[in-house]
Amino acid sequence: MSEEKQVKVHVDKVNKSYGDNHVLRDISLDVMDNEVVVMIGPSGSGKSTFLRMLNQLEKPDSGLIEVDGYDISDPKTNINKVRENIGMVFQNFNLFNNYSVIDNITLAPVQLGKMTKAEAEKKAKELLETVGLPDKASAPVSSLSGGQKQRIAIARALAMDPDIMLFDEPTSALDPEVVGDVLDVMKHLAKMGMTMIIVTHEMGFAKQVADRVVFFESGKIQESGTPEQIFTAPKNERLQTFLSKVMQA
Amino acid sequence: MKKKLLAFIVALSAVFAVMGATGHKANADEPHYTITSDATYAPFDFQDKNNQYVGIDQDLLKAIAKAAGFTVTVKPMAFNAAMQSVASSQADGVIAGTTITNERKAVYDFSDPYYKTGIAWATAKNSKIKSLSDLKGKTVALKTGTAGAEYAESIKDQYGFKITYFSDSDTVYRDVINGNSVATFADLPVLQYTIKNGTALKVQNSKEPFAAGDLGFAVKKGDNAQLLADFNKGLAIIKKNGTYDKIVNKYLSAKASTFTGSAKDNSTVWGILKTNRSAFLSGLKQTLYLTVVGIILASLWGLFLGILGVSKNTLLRSLSTTIVYIFRGMPMLVLAFFLYIGIPAVTGTKISAWTAGIMTLVLNEGAYIGAFVRGGFNSVDNGQMEAARSLGLSHSQAMRRVIIPQGLRLMVPSFINQFIITLKDTSLLSAIGILELTQTGTLIVTRNSQGFRVWAIVAMIYLIVITLLTLFSNWVEKRTKA
Ligand SMILES: Nc1ncnc2c1ncn2[C@@H]1O[C@H](COP(=O)(O)OP(=O)(O)O)[C@@H](O)[C@H]1O
Ligand SMILES: [Mg+2]
Repeated sequence: MSEEKQVKVHVDKVNKSYGDNHVLRDISLDVMDNEVVVMIGPSGSGKSTFLRMLNQLEKPDSGLIEVDGYDISDPKTNINKVRENIGMVFQNFNLFNNYSVIDNITLAPVQLGKMTKAEAEKKAKELLETVGLPDKASAPVSSLSGGQKQRIAIARALAMDPDIMLFDEPTSALDPEVVGDVLDVMKHLAKMGMTMIIVTHEMGFAKQVADRVVFFESGKIQESGTPEQIFTAPKNERLQTFLSKVMQA
Repeated sequence: MKKKLLAFIVALSAVFAVMGATGHKANADEPHYTITSDATYAPFDFQDKNNQYVGIDQDLLKAIAKAAGFTVTVKPMAFNAAMQSVASSQADGVIAGTTITNERKAVYDFSDPYYKTGIAWATAKNSKIKSLSDLKGKTVALKTGTAGAEYAESIKDQYGFKITYFSDSDTVYRDVINGNSVATFADLPVLQYTIKNGTALKVQNSKEPFAAGDLGFAVKKGDNAQLLADFNKGLAIIKKNGTYDKIVNKYLSAKASTFTGSAKDNSTVWGILKTNRSAFLSGLKQTLYLTVVGIILASLWGLFLGILGVSKNTLLRSLSTTIVYIFRGMPMLVLAFFLYIGIPAVTGTKISAWTAGIMTLVLNEGAYIGAFVRGGFNSVDNGQMEAARSLGLSHSQAMRRVIIPQGLRLMVPSFINQFIITLKDTSLLSAIGILELTQTGTLIVTRNSQGFRVWAIVAMIYLIVITLLTLFSNWVEKRTKA
């Protein structure tokens, strides 16, 4: 582990079923430090389930998941501690409706004793600057547009200083004209060297930012490779079909 | 700021609860007893126009206590509750115009007879019914648990009449006068006194009462022998020195208005309000007091149940569900009787009617609150919990900082609704003898027989208070919505 890049996420032969529905089948994947992995695939293929398993919002039925070197399916692992290092951004933002923008951002660092209230507020203001919403600190959540909400949600996740960020279709619920604002923030994060795993349908964004693209289908990773490999020379037949559909749209 | 207010309210209600729970202190040298009594049984027990409890029983008890050297606290309530309180050791003795019967002797020890009585039957003034055989197929109205009722039951098959029960005398008389039922059976002196006070009934057998018997003071069988002996001693003394006759005459030959107030005052709503102002006020105060203490404690209990109901632990969740199920399913009146009369009868520990009343409110209203609190928490979008957990907050931190505050806001309208329901439900507690607004109404009606006007006044008071409460809560609701 000295010279080489560190493995941040190590997933080995993970399986997950909901009743008869075998959602994830023997999935294995390693993600390196500073790497940006984009996951694509038809809806229902298991992308969200996979992503949510990385911070244990879902539990695998079998297989190994290590994040930052911690085996998160081991009951002795303090999952709350591990989660402090994994930021997550949801399709529906999930901002806390009972707090103002700045309180959304400072809640976790203050509650978890990472920072004092004053430190957290100072940091929150910097983050608001980063996501392009410096004047929204005291706004109530309900007054924000979708694009603004998602950028605040990203700031909230960043407030914990995570070293991995998970994005589950962060722009799917947004009006097309504000999608760019959110993607810009994510590009900025990528440039800063954040390790990111992103589920998205934004193929242009994937081409631009991804170090690696992973194609999910029927609970399996059917193909993975650099953006060039995936988008210009797809080998897997299902990937070809999928791409022809989304590129048409 | 909000937290401070909440803490203040909790502290205040705790202080009230303690105040309410402490009874009278006994006089150091003389034995002190708690005696229950019927609140509405003129001429033996009733409230006079100054809202003081008076009557043959009350005056005799006072005179006897003085003669025999003991002190008493009298607790007026419904007749059945008065008897049950003694049977369940909630009180030491009962004086409530109780006829000595063999059945009662199985449960109570009786004093020497203090008054001769018998059962009479009465009809509406202009009724065509003249003899018991005219009652065939008709309905007779009775007061629950009285000797009159027992006698009527015993001849009901012989004469073929039906029976309907009420728990206070005035409702019985109203039922007969209004023609819902045709007659009633009650103790002769009671009927005579009522009629003298203007109730439009006619006694059919004033010359030959049935089942002539005696009234006695009662204690729980095998208990309080000293009290019984003292009572007998005192009774003998006041019979000898003429006090006894003076008391009986005072009630049976006095003009009605001496006790019930002038006819002029009783014939207008305004007059009734004026003469009974202090009674209505103290009844209202008790109702508000029960409501406020009840809703605060019920809210705390309900919040606890609701939070238990969304806990991660299956056992705690089902515990909460079970408690909610039991106390939502149980009629409040049954719960009140169970707490006040049922449990003490088994355990032998006394609890005051007030404490039992508050416990009833807390358990009953708390179950409803628990149900909507749980529902409120469950209706907070699951994404809120996931977002909180994904940041590293523990389940309980997420509950406290995110889910509970949002859930509570959703619940504000339900809380307000429950507050109003609680206010109305306190009226049921009159059944265990708490002198709140409804019981106050009952007592005033017993005295002045102005059922329509008095109940209209009571209804108006409830409506006014509920209107004020609704306005206040609309204001609160608006402020919490923002
Ligand atoms: N909590 C759940 N209970 C039952 N089935 C689920 C649950 N979550 C996801 N699924 C099922 O798992 C499959 C994969 O879902 P998901 O991971 O959301 O796919 P994607 O994100 O790729 O669209 C789908 O068939 C979905 O219906
Ligand atoms: Mg998905």
